[in-house]
Amino acid sequence: MNFKRFRLLALMGCAFSATNYIAAQTSAPVPAVAAQATESKNISEWLVRMHEASRNRSYVGTFVVSSGGVMSSAKIWHVCDGTQQIERVETLTGPPRSTFRHNDQVVTFMPEQKLVRAEKRESLGLFPELLKSSAGSHIGDFYQARQEGRERVAGVDADVIALIPKDSMRFGYRVWAEQKRGMVVKLQTLDADGKVLEQSAFSELQFDAPVKIEKLVQMMNKVEGYRVEKPELIKTTASAEGWALKKPVAGFQPMSCHKRPRATPSGDAPMQWVFSDGLASVSIFVEPFDAQRHLKESRMAMGATQSLTRRVDAYWLTVMGEVPMATLGLFADGLERKK
Amino acid sequence: MKPTTQNHELISALADGQLASEDFASVLAACEADEEALASWSNYHLIGDVLRSPGLAPQGSDAAFVMRLRTRLVQEPALDAGVSAGKPTLARIGREASNDNSFRWKLVAGFASVAAVVAVAWSAGSGLLSPSAAPQLARSDTSQQVLVMSEQGSVVRDARMQEMLAEHRQFGGTSALQMPSGFLRNATFETPQGERR
Repeated sequence: MNFKRFRLLALMGCAFSATNYIAAQTSAPVPAVAAQATESKNISEWLVRMHEASRNRSYVGTFVVSSGGVMSSAKIWHVCDGTQQIERVETLTGPPRSTFRHNDQVVTFMPEQKLVRAEKRESLGLFPELLKSSAGSHIGDFYQARQEGRERVAGVDADVIALIPKDSMRFGYRVWAEQKRGMVVKLQTLDADGKVLEQSAFSELQFDAPVKIEKLVQMMNKVEGYRVEKPELIKTTASAEGWALKKPVAGFQPMSCHKRPRATPSGDAPMQWVFSDGLASVSIFVEPFDAQRHLKESRMAMGATQSLTRRVDAYWLTVMGEVPMATLGLFADGLERKK
Repeated sequence: MKPTTQNHELISALADGQLASEDFASVLAACEADEEALASWSNYHLIGDVLRSPGLAPQGSDAAFVMRLRTRLVQEPALDAGVSAGKPTLARIGREASNDNSFRWKLVAGFASVAAVVAVAWSAGSGLLSPSAAPQLARSDTSQQVLVMSEQGSVVRDARMQEMLAEHRQFGGTSALQMPSGFLRNATFETPQGERR
């Protein structure tokens, strides 16, 4: 009888250790064991490293974006030869679309509408000037970097770095940067409770893939059969348009302001004024108030992007950004008509 | 034309799936040309089926037997009590496991099932901790409209809002995280204005 009891206990022991083993397999990333040399990097160093890595490596991969419950993915080719970069993004979800980028020239092909849009994106070249801003405020005043460990993503080993906001007016981020050179392979936008609002990540990544720049340039210029659209921009300043932010929101610097020369039935196209704190950006759109279209003020959340609409005198304001709703409210409250 | 018996043999082999390529082709050609060959092909299949599953092929004698059985059954007096008494015993015997009396094996079965449930729940639990796909609800501290954005609710966006969203993403690229994630994210995810018109 004793032997039978022993066997029973042995069986119980096996069951418990089996459950423990399974639990261990699915646990959180192993935290960094000892203080590493990399821990002493501050946020600027991390960000510069991430930025440089993205410019200097060639790769092919599949990128997946998950935002507000909607998921999309695309196949990516990226080549750089030291002086120039070229990139091709083919969407795998929804209507087919090919986006080509050659330095700061962006060309988007929409095969279903036989439309090509070609434009120059100046905002792509603005970093790392963002790190040294004229008003003296610095990304490091508003965010703190902390290494949280190591994880493997899309087949590469990556350092997990948390970018923690120092106040409640912005979102936090968790960045997975590939260990050897620091390229961002996964990025999560987190709200104040640590909940993931949006995630973009490579699901597959192959470095130094044999892709030729000439081939991509050739594909980028093949516009036969397409209608080419070159949207124009009228650069302006907010004060020229008669607007000012009387109470600036901490950390956010005005970046650019422009209008589109669009003849809409309701009149002028909205003016767009863009602010950034180095990681997040906010756009304020101002247009004349139209009672037929602007029916009610609203607040919306689309993944990490929050938006707010409000009527201010004879104008309709739309404030949009990857920041908490309260921050958008601060922008809307601070906007003032000068003239 | 092959002699008939050899033909039959080949067709029988075909029905059994035992023919090699050359023979296969020639027999198929023969079947196409000759109706009798086709008839023997069906016969061989029927024979095979009957041999493999005895219950399949009702013969003429079977049908007569069934008729006789039916008439006899109608004539038998109703034996409900007897028949139903037999059922519970059968059911009880069917459900009981032979080692039910042994407590030890009940314990083993219990622990095994508990371990399995815990293992499944743990892996499912860690799966749920990944980015949630729940709808995002914007908080409102005033009586303003709150619009919920979810997979089903994306109809609340109007065309203008969609355009503004695209423009915000395009020009809000002044972020340290823009390359490559921000740009790739927008190229993957955004719906450009062109697609709305």
